[in-house]
Amino acid sequence: MGVVNRAFRNISRRKIRALLVIIALGFSLAILVSIPAGIVANQNATQSLTGNLSNAISQSEANLNSTITQTEATINQSLKEIDCSLTPTAPSGFGFTRGSGSGSSGGNGFTGSFGGGNFTPGQFSGGFGGGFTAGQFGSGAFGGGSGSPMNETYYADISNITGVAAVAPVLQVTEGHNVTVAAPFGGFTFNRTEPDYIIEGIQLTSDLISNYHILPTNITTGSNLQAGESGVVLLSENNSAYFGVSVGGTVTILGQNFQVIGIHGTSSVSDVQTLYMNLSDAQALTNNTDYITTLHVFADNAADVSAVASALSSLHPELDVTTSQTRLEQLQNLKSTYQTMLNSTQTNYETQVQAAQTTMNQTNSQAFEEIIVLVAATSLIVLFVMLYTVRERTKEIGTLKAIGFSNGAVMSQFMLEGVLLSVLAGIVAIVIGSVAAPFLTSVLLPHVSSAVNLFGTSSRIIIAGGNPAIDTATSTATVAVSLSPELMLIAFGSAIFLGAIGSLYPAWRAARTRPAEAMRYE
Amino acid sequence: MSETVLKVENVSKNYALGKRGVKALSNLNLEVKKGEFIAIMGPSGSGKTTLLNVLGCIDKPTSGKVLLDNIDVANMPESQLYKIRRNKIGFVFQSFNLLPYLNARENVELPMENIGKSKTERNARAKELLAMVGLLGREEHLPQRLSQGEQQRVAIARALANDPAIVLADEPTGNLDIKNKQEIVKLLANLNLKEGTTIIMVTHDGHVAAHTERILFLGDGKINKEKEGMHLAKKNICPFCKGKLQPIDETCPSCGKTVRFKKKASPEKDKGETSSDKQ
Repeated sequence: MGVVNRAFRNISRRKIRALLVIIALGFSLAILVSIPAGIVANQNATQSLTGNLSNAISQSEANLNSTITQTEATINQSLKEIDCSLTPTAPSGFGFTRGSGSGSSGGNGFTGSFGGGNFTPGQFSGGFGGGFTAGQFGSGAFGGGSGSPMNETYYADISNITGVAAVAPVLQVTEGHNVTVAAPFGGFTFNRTEPDYIIEGIQLTSDLISNYHILPTNITTGSNLQAGESGVVLLSENNSAYFGVSVGGTVTILGQNFQVIGIHGTSSVSDVQTLYMNLSDAQALTNNTDYITTLHVFADNAADVSAVASALSSLHPELDVTTSQTRLEQLQNLKSTYQTMLNSTQTNYETQVQAAQTTMNQTNSQAFEEIIVLVAATSLIVLFVMLYTVRERTKEIGTLKAIGFSNGAVMSQFMLEGVLLSVLAGIVAIVIGSVAAPFLTSVLLPHVSSAVNLFGTSSRIIIAGGNPAIDTATSTATVAVSLSPELMLIAFGSAIFLGAIGSLYPAWRAARTRPAEAMRYE
Repeated sequence: MSETVLKVENVSKNYALGKRGVKALSNLNLEVKKGEFIAIMGPSGSGKTTLLNVLGCIDKPTSGKVLLDNIDVANMPESQLYKIRRNKIGFVFQSFNLLPYLNARENVELPMENIGKSKTERNARAKELLAMVGLLGREEHLPQRLSQGEQQRVAIARALANDPAIVLADEPTGNLDIKNKQEIVKLLANLNLKEGTTIIMVTHDGHVAAHTERILFLGDGKINKEKEGMHLAKKNICPFCKGKLQPIDETCPSCGKTVRFKKKASPEKDKGETSSDKQ
């Protein structure tokens, strides 16, 4: 008849009471170990959030820098280029019609990318996701509505300007479909044109092709357009997928068949959806005979660019003339805008990290208080129950002492009983904790829930509608609250410890019971 | 039979009860020989229970000596006293005081814990003792499954577990009906007779006391009177025909009369008194 066995039997004498006590203790122990679990999970989540955002910021910074570097390089390469277009009458709007594209808010679906890669002169402004109002950088902005179409023949005199080496007329038309978009508030909806593909007609002369960058350089399959070719088209990979054709096949565009001569790889955002064809083909196809959207004017040498530009402006004041010099300035402005945005994002990020740290500290101190309360509660439950048990069993204890039990034997008997109660509660606590830890911690600790959303700002920068803005998307991380094996051990350990603490005084009281209590008649 | 097992010298016990002290025992002397069967009687408040507690080392006298096996236990600290209680004394209580969640055998094994006996030894000893008190085959019964008489037998077996020098019985028959009372008295008498167990029994019941060897009458904390009990079985003489008796006979083989529980020379005191005053 071991002491442990006796303790077990004593506990099972009052089954309901023991059960209730064990459940109560189990809950309090479950909460006790759920709190550290919650804190650990919270810390992990915060860490991963912080890390993610930090990475995102460095990534953005790197992207920005590389974009700026590449753009600068492109500009330097095309210092001789001057772009002309008509100032658009409606720089931003929804939808456009074939042949008369107005400035659209391009860049849909391309947020966060600064493009990069090969800039062909005509695509320069599109390199920024079309985010800038058309015309700002001259023609060629993605969305096709980069300027009002202008009569080609009207500008035939441009090539006679002194210092002009070549003129490359371009017609760019976007084909798309209307989509209905719900406004983010108020339940309004509006129609918007989602671009499907962009037709870019280029004058295919051997001089322009060989001496000026007017065609994509990144051909993945097939071959590039050749001088004088007609009835053929150079598709982007995106177009190829959209039309479902590959090199050598025939594609029907606006009712006319073209042979696919090649596929160009995407080198920047601007030409993801751009297909290239002969200018006259494009004009005929889109009913824009003699009309173009952009004129690329190339000076004889870089030094003449500003002279040519001013001559151009005086000859055709209605034209929006953009030189590389202007672009460089714009780029500088853009760069500083980006830098400001990045800085504010960085600052915002630091503020958020600090706030998160503060929250963590608060959580820790709150958790500490809660743990103190729970430790006290747990040992008090054991204390009261065991005190009650000792009082109730005074006669029995007296008998044990009368028949020769030592104080130590009695004391260890009751200590063991208290510890056994709390060990059983420890098992209950592990069961409860494994199931309910996430819930318990979300109730007990600030900012611990199944998913935390610590940051209202991510570091992604998007340029939409011409206004650089910081994306308000949030970074989230999942707080996975679970009892680790270590915490289960801790649950057990604290059960034993708190059980021992709680039953210390009752057991001492029991040990001090006078043997004469055995004689008491009830 | 002449070896002194317990000697009480000038023992006094005062209780502080309110402002007035109560003298429960005053200069009490008592000598008990090995193998004696003694009854202590007396009215309520005469100090019976106090005396038993002092003898059983669960209460300390205010003054005097209590020599148990020539060891003065009166001034022994609790750290050693529990060993005396465990090894030298067996307690039998009025309400049996069995642990309700332990079966008969486990209850008997209790005092044998912590004395270096193996589990099998304890087990065997417990079974032997239970057989001795007539509970063979009932070892694994919980107290609630036993009659009151049987429960008291278990308690007696438990008292005998460590071969104590004396068995102290505090009104062992006080809670029993007449039939069980007879059983228990017979059992104690037979134990005394066959095993030579020294028994000191507090009782209110003259019938019960009559079957001991010596009856001590307590009054005002002193032994007022001492009388020889019948303990017929010990004398093996029929009080009616003076014929020879067998030790366990209840009726005389010669005259056929009941020789136990039949008061022949009854003590003068305590007639008709019941055992209700301690409640």
